[in-house]
Amino acid sequence: MEFFLSLLSTGLIMGIIYALIALGLTLIFSILNVINFAHGEFYMLGGYASYYILTTLTGFNPFLSVLLSGLMGGLLGLLFELLFLRPMHKGQIERPAEYSILITFGLSFFLLNLALAVFGPYPHRPPSFFEGSISLGFTRISADRLTASVSALLLLGSTLWIIQKTWMGKALQAVSQNKDAAAVVGINSLRMNSLAFSIGVGLAAAAGALLAPSFSVVPDVGAEPSVRSFVIIVLGGMGSIRGSILGGIIIGIVESLGAGYFPDPSRAIKYKTVYGLIIFALVLLLKPTGLFGRKEA
Amino acid sequence: MTTHQEKNAARAPVYIRWGLIAITAAVALLAPLFLQNYWLHVVIIAYYFALLASSWALLAGVAGQFSFGHLAFVAIGGYTSGLLGRYLDTPPAIGIIAGILMAGLSGLVIALLVLRFKAAYLALFTIAFSEILRIIIKGEATITRGDQGLAVAPLLGEDIISRVPYYYIMLGVLVVSLMFMYWLVNSRIGLFLRAIREDETAASARGVDVVRYKILAFVITSMLAGLAGVFFAHYVNILSPNMLVLPQMGLVIAMAIIGGVESLLAAALGGIIIQISLEWLRDFDTWRLVIFGLLLMLTLRFARNGLLAPLLQWLSGSAPRAEFREDASQEGIRADGQEVEA
Repeated sequence: MEFFLSLLSTGLIMGIIYALIALGLTLIFSILNVINFAHGEFYMLGGYASYYILTTLTGFNPFLSVLLSGLMGGLLGLLFELLFLRPMHKGQIERPAEYSILITFGLSFFLLNLALAVFGPYPHRPPSFFEGSISLGFTRISADRLTASVSALLLLGSTLWIIQKTWMGKALQAVSQNKDAAAVVGINSLRMNSLAFSIGVGLAAAAGALLAPSFSVVPDVGAEPSVRSFVIIVLGGMGSIRGSILGGIIIGIVESLGAGYFPDPSRAIKYKTVYGLIIFALVLLLKPTGLFGRKEA
Repeated sequence: MTTHQEKNAARAPVYIRWGLIAITAAVALLAPLFLQNYWLHVVIIAYYFALLASSWALLAGVAGQFSFGHLAFVAIGGYTSGLLGRYLDTPPAIGIIAGILMAGLSGLVIALLVLRFKAAYLALFTIAFSEILRIIIKGEATITRGDQGLAVAPLLGEDIISRVPYYYIMLGVLVVSLMFMYWLVNSRIGLFLRAIREDETAASARGVDVVRYKILAFVITSMLAGLAGVFFAHYVNILSPNMLVLPQMGLVIAMAIIGGVESLLAAALGGIIIQISLEWLRDFDTWRLVIFGLLLMLTLRFARNGLLAPLLQWLSGSAPRAEFREDASQEGIRADGQEVEA
């Protein structure tokens, strides 16, 4: 029982961070109707940004560094959105669905190789938030991971607050529900696209900065979180915000239980992501719209 | 976009066209005479990438299915043959057939699972499938040898060290595959695939069995990827899970898109040219791939037909396919604004 509880809590802690990354992806999909295949690369860049902030400015507050990394990710996302996605939404590009898949995959290929060229293949690890581990009674959890998870929860909460309560968030919701009706009441959907894309990849970059002290950063560190986020958004239902949060937590717990009960411990950790593919296949077979998906999926 | 489509209307003089075809054929056939072993190897690998880029172009450019798992089928083909050879001591010929069939079978399972849904689901599922296959090959090191690499028997036995026979084999595999793909694209099946790609509902209303032809296209291209994989495996004699990392998939896509994703030949040439330039620009190290990544994005944004396809169309003298343009069908006007000849 104690073992089960410790796995459950580790799963929950990671699941909250997964939910944060997937929320960014969902936000982008629900507003722009684009799946961001470069999501993992923004996660990776967030990790590097935090590493360079904290190692060049000694004594800089690590939490501010997370926010700053998220902001940098968001600005880079904005630049990409304006240069490559806005022309598509203005109708200047043929077959936009195909274009959006290929251009974001192209961006991921570009950013990954750029990171390899600039930062090199060796792992970089920013300093810890807090050293050591914290006891939860039945298990001990690394202080860094717990800090990352609590911060992710705060970011998740503030993003939801912005979406639910502010004028800006309501405008985003309106565009996601009906672009034309939103335009009638004076919402500029092009501007909302840029906003959603920046916030979405900014969240991925912040998550990368949060987890960098725990897992180190290498150029291809984004592949795993991005594949995982794809599974989460399909499980949660494409475009559903609560689906991506619940889906993230479910995947976190499934991975943790799966790794804990896998018969061969040497392979257990490596196979974490494999459970995701099984869930992906099951969702497609049993309920293609996911937990809270819209009918049209 | 209009500039090169206007160029398409023009034709290259016949002597230029046939002259170029003759020169290309001669260069391809006589290359072993003037290339040393090292560059011969580079060209053999370039042919392998040409096969991958053109079969991906068939899937994406003609059938409109965006798979990021093409290299997974390459690995399935290669590893099937490699593992059969290692554990059952089968000769390469049997391994090649088994590898191609295994790639086709895996393609069928994935196609049955995913192709009922929108194109985005295929992209999502194949990227996950490819990554997870890589993790499993890496994880099951006792069977697959993992990162240490699985040794695969040379196709022609241990005695033949020369690369020349391998050069002609890989060239033959590429040319035969391209001819098969051309036949397919210009057959009824190709017509159905293009119809589905343009408008699934309309194709379905006209009686095209949409899901069936989509599955067929996916299985065939998976088998072509498996074919590339088995010949690659029996040529380089070692397989590792690193062959299917996502940047490799990105490279194949860059080759197809920069060449021209709607033209199989342009995609194949893109593969050959990019692979050779990667070797030639070796001094630039990782920056080479950064440049090709940027070129991929710019090609997508500003030249959707690719950089080589318009040139090939000019050489072949064929009119651009009006049926590919969405706004072309109704008004008898092609996308380039010229009236279609009756």
